Amino acid sequence: METTDFSQPIRQSSKGIIIIFAFNAFSFFKKFFVLFIAFGVSIMSQKSFGGITPTMMLLALLGVLIIILIIAILKYLNFKFHLSKDDFHLATGIINKDNTIIPKSKIQNVYIKQNFLQQIINVVSVKIETAGDKKSEIEISALDKSTALLLKKKLFNKANVENEHAEQIDTIEASEVFFKVTPKRLLLEGISQNHFKSFLLILTFAYGIYSEFKDFLKDLELEKQIEGLVKLDEDTILNLIITNVVIILVVVLFSFVFSIVTTFIINFNLEVVEHQKTIEINKGLFNKVSLSLTPSRIQNLVIKTNRVKQYFNLHSLSVKQAMVNAKQQKNFKIVALEKEQLNHLINKLLLNYNNEGKVAKPRPYFMRISVLEMLAFGIVINALSLFLFGIEMLWINVVFVPFAVLYVYFAYKKAYYKISDNFLTIGSGVIDTTTNILEIHKIQEVELKQTLFQQRSDIASLVVSTASKSVTIPYISKLEALSIYNFLLYKVESQDRDWM
Amino acid sequence: MNFTNLQIQTEQLPKVEDVVLKPISKSYLKIILLNKLALYIGVIGLVFGLKYIIEKKEELQLNLWYMLSAVVVFCVFNFIVSLLAFKKRKYAMREHDVVYAKGLLVHSITTVPISRIQHVEESRSWLARHFGLATLKIFTAGEAGSDLSIKGLPYIEAKQIKEIISDKVNGNN
Repeated sequence: METTDFSQPIRQSSKGIIIIFAFNAFSFFKKFFVLFIAFGVSIMSQKSFGGITPTMMLLALLGVLIIILIIAILKYLNFKFHLSKDDFHLATGIINKDNTIIPKSKIQNVYIKQNFLQQIINVVSVKIETAGDKKSEIEISALDKSTALLLKKKLFNKANVENEHAEQIDTIEASEVFFKVTPKRLLLEGISQNHFKSFLLILTFAYGIYSEFKDFLKDLELEKQIEGLVKLDEDTILNLIITNVVIILVVVLFSFVFSIVTTFIINFNLEVVEHQKTIEINKGLFNKVSLSLTPSRIQNLVIKTNRVKQYFNLHSLSVKQAMVNAKQQKNFKIVALEKEQLNHLINKLLLNYNNEGKVAKPRPYFMRISVLEMLAFGIVINALSLFLFGIEMLWINVVFVPFAVLYVYFAYKKAYYKISDNFLTIGSGVIDTTTNILEIHKIQEVELKQTLFQQRSDIASLVVSTASKSVTIPYISKLEALSIYNFLLYKVESQDRDWM
Repeated sequence: MNFTNLQIQTEQLPKVEDVVLKPISKSYLKIILLNKLALYIGVIGLVFGLKYIIEKKEELQLNLWYMLSAVVVFCVFNFIVSLLAFKKRKYAMREHDVVYAKGLLVHSITTVPISRIQHVEESRSWLARHFGLATLKIFTAGEAGSDLSIKGLPYIEAKQIKEIISDKVNGNN
């Protein structure tokens, strides 16, 4: 590996022109997509549009592409970065020159990403994230991999140099691949996902299309239909049932395939690498990403599993960090972990988490609220089905009522909270089993909520916010809520620990 | 330590329920009233506007009175609620945190530890300037929504609190 000298201003790899060009062209066409369609159609139909012929259009298009290419080249030429002792310098801009300087100590995260195009021409993009809004992100879109890794290392190591000898860490730092997902487990993960939401969505969509289609069919075979109505009454009902079942089956299959495919694309070759202090996640098929997690920045851990997944020993762990934008936040998710691996990771990320503390449950009032929710939902569903499909659609209650009962039962069964000296653990979920863990000293704000109706039964909810997420301890007695409230505040305020 | 242990200990902890919360300035009620009045005038105006448009096309006079009475009932209800809710708007500052309580239908008590505050802002609208009031905004690093804004503080007090908090925040660093 030839060592790249970062002390002099350098450009990115010359392949960057292609990336910038592709990116700009893509966003240009995205912006004017509708316009293009409109023009295209009118030219197709009229052969000319205000004296403009297709060839002229093509030429114009070519011209636009050439302009974009020139801009891309200029952008590439004017994009220079280098490292000084404590800062990262970046100069950009063709006409308006921008000079950005980022102190290394303020760098929050360095991501290495590789989208499809970048995979083809074998470059990676490096994204440097600082605290603050989205605009303060910097992306170097084309570097070859070894340079990118070296840059990342330099950015990170110097950032920590204040209290430790970076060089030593460099040599000592032993990294091992801790976890690597197998295709089989990914497949299981995709299958065992909670299909309920996508299922409902696709189902309504399919029904919409079906009813449209049905009308159309009726129009076509009106006479036959009338004949059939008189003669084959039972047959049509059977037909209806069969078509409904077929539609549901197709939808189920579709949502299965859909979630399997998305799971594969997102988590392809998922790999968790354990460094001495940090943890690195690599994954992705079309969009390869490489992210590193620093324990101090972690605010919440969310563990999800469900019945089927438990059977296959599949757990997913989402890590919520502070100051990470929502799009990136989604990437901090490790799927298909085994129980021991999960526990190991949790222990690595949260110091001394030992799951202690007494489990406490919300008051039975919780169930009353769930019942009310389900009632409202049921009324809406019934009204909708009556309105859309007529009286015979009321059979949906046969499905709905048991579902509602199970919903209430499981929602209450899975709800609990646990407070130990340093951690707050909250369990929730209906189909999924969700566990939320946060460190008490990272709490930003505590809120006690009580509605007018809860005052009579002396019930309140507690909302605990960290820098990345708010969690709720629902419907506990007000006395207990207050004592937790005071305890959490005491914990936060009595110890002088940083939340990041 | 487990949770039962904690129960005993909490007896001695400083209690948020014992804090004497201070009501916000009475003049803020005037601002609320003015705002509400503007809202009601707008809504009722909308109803009449609708009537005008509809009546041009069809004769649906009967509908209007229902609509109007519904709107008026809503306004009266809303007015009473906001009057009663005004009394619930209270705040306090402790050594280590800021407490703010509000809401009638959903009553909430929010506490932000001073050590978690990123910055403080004191802002005044045109009306608030007129009544000598200010809004104190407290920003934490939390997600959107976990910021605190205390409306209707006397200007001088808002300024004082802001000074105290920023001193403490800067002192911590």
